[in-house]
Amino acid sequence: MRRESNKASLNPDAATLQRMLYYLKLTREAEYRIERVLYRQGKIVGGVFTSRGQEAITVGTAIQLIAGDVVTPTHRDFAAHVIRGISLQEIFCNWLGRVGAPTRGRDGGPHIGDIRRRIIAPVSPVGAWCAVACGAAMALQRQGKGNIALTFFGEGTSARGDVHEAMNLAAVMKLPVVFVCNNNAYAYSMPAEKEYAVESLAVRGPAYGMPGVSVDGNDVLAVYAASRKAIARARGGKGPSLIECRTFRMTGHSAHDAAEYVPEELKRQWKKKDPIDRFEKWLLARRIMTRAGIKALDAAIQKELDEAIAQAEASRLPEGRDTLEGVYCGPECWWGNPSVARGPQSVATH
Amino acid sequence: MPTKLTRQQHQDLYYFLRLNRRVDEQLVALYRQGKVVGGVYSSLGQEAISVGTAYALAPQDLIGPVIRNVGAMLIRGFRPRDLFLQYMGRRDGPTGGRDANTHFGDVARGVIAPISMLGETVPVMAGIALAAKIRGENRVAVAYVGDGAMSTGPCHEGMNFAAVQKLSLLIVAENNGWAYSTPIEKQMAVRDMAERAKAYGIPAVTVDGNDALAVYAATRKALARMRRGGGPEMIECQTMRMKGHAEHDDARYVPKKVFEAWRRKDPILRYERYLIAKKLMTGDEKAAIEERIESEIRADVAFAEASPFPAPEEAARPVFA
Repeated sequence: MRRESNKASLNPDAATLQRMLYYLKLTREAEYRIERVLYRQGKIVGGVFTSRGQEAITVGTAIQLIAGDVVTPTHRDFAAHVIRGISLQEIFCNWLGRVGAPTRGRDGGPHIGDIRRRIIAPVSPVGAWCAVACGAAMALQRQGKGNIALTFFGEGTSARGDVHEAMNLAAVMKLPVVFVCNNNAYAYSMPAEKEYAVESLAVRGPAYGMPGVSVDGNDVLAVYAASRKAIARARGGKGPSLIECRTFRMTGHSAHDAAEYVPEELKRQWKKKDPIDRFEKWLLARRIMTRAGIKALDAAIQKELDEAIAQAEASRLPEGRDTLEGVYCGPECWWGNPSVARGPQSVATH
Repeated sequence: MPTKLTRQQHQDLYYFLRLNRRVDEQLVALYRQGKVVGGVYSSLGQEAISVGTAYALAPQDLIGPVIRNVGAMLIRGFRPRDLFLQYMGRRDGPTGGRDANTHFGDVARGVIAPISMLGETVPVMAGIALAAKIRGENRVAVAYVGDGAMSTGPCHEGMNFAAVQKLSLLIVAENNGWAYSTPIEKQMAVRDMAERAKAYGIPAVTVDGNDALAVYAATRKALARMRRGGGPEMIECQTMRMKGHAEHDDARYVPKKVFEAWRRKDPILRYERYLIAKKLMTGDEKAAIEERIESEIRADVAFAEASPFPAPEEAARPVFA
């Protein structure tokens, strides 16, 4: 860790730093269970996408969200859901296609979210949510409470028109949006040098009239520091920012992709820069955590996962009678029913 | 101006500038007579951009014009009568009376027909540049895009693709201050459209769009670099849309003094003054050019007005193979 990130890290207090380690490890271990255990046992409905190696990007940013903020995660932002209050049991129910899941067994694992908790679930057309984040930010701007919208996208996604339209609109309207680009070097099999012809995507920021920075995405404190600045800017009404986090996708595009197109040497080099190993060493060196503490944390995480998975596996699969639930308006729905209050609390009839 | 144009070429440029304006005026007249099918989108005040860029191209190059690039289409070989036939929906027009305004083209003349979705020209022309690259052909593809169109997703995708693939795509960014009623300061948070090019690593220059020779010179320079395999370039031409978005828009949202200020910078008057001052055109030559244009317009309007409408029986003819 460099000097700059040490100074900035004076800001996250010890409790926050420990929480960050917890979420980093939770992401890694939960995704291990999803990709290397449940998927291989044939228990997952649909494809599996994890964020191995990129965990610091989600944790360093999302840990700073407050009540009322909106987040639009990608399929590689596991920690965002947990930080915002979706339980592990709900997450595993989603992967296993059970009724207790946020998508009620109707959509795949990565398409998870909950508008009540201000998490807008991602969809397969990547980047579409960046414009949605702007819409949310417009509402937040009008409400004037200093809330922000945090939106993530990959370097492949940055080539999509939706991201362009979103960034331009955010800049023109000075919306409280923080754009976080997870540049993990590969978009499926497309290497980053075929996605853009500039040195760093940070230059996209000033091209729209917003600040743009590039940070080491495997350094959770660098990510934290950069996003702290951007979040403060947005909360203060100064408008959007772009943060490019440079990292590496340590898995294939998905569990069914062996990523043979990635040179072995690259994988080896990046393994040495594992974000969790680095942060752990840093915490130990500064005695913010002890080895015993970390061991206890690891054990607690395993126990948490065991319980959540057991509960999810015991949950009911959707049946025929569940099919129409939440599809048409019922008596509890606000549409055409003046006695029911409008607003986000009434949107979720499930 | 280091443009090395001959006297004749200078006068050709003047001819096309004047022709552009006169065709525009004639279309407005036809519109006011109720003879136009659809809307009329004027290029008043912006002629130097279409003419200055198109005049610099080689025969093998292709353009993707949009609604205010009639001047470029004229340089590529369309005649005033083609425009009158098209706008009046006649059978012998470029789309057989089936589409409106500048939604026409001709691959043989290197003109790719535009559609209403502005910004789409960019990825389409990038595709053409890609084809030329694959075939080893020395062609430049030119995409015209306005300040409004530059905010669209397809524009972004096309520019990024052209940059990554190092294609010979010339992006002519026409900054005329207004996208319908959206002023430039509500369109983007940077000062110049050229700033956008930095997002892609595309070299860009900003020129006075009302200076025909500046536009021409910038185009020549960009073309030379592209023909050497330099990859895409952007030329931002700053100008003013001197009328509403279309004839049905009276542009009441534009402050009158903005129009007044820009009227003084009229591109055709400026070029005329330049040619006369540098003795590149005499008063007689100017009169001859204008007379030639008038008789062309007169003949072509008459021809178009006398042309038949498409017959209903022909409706399905070019629809199926």
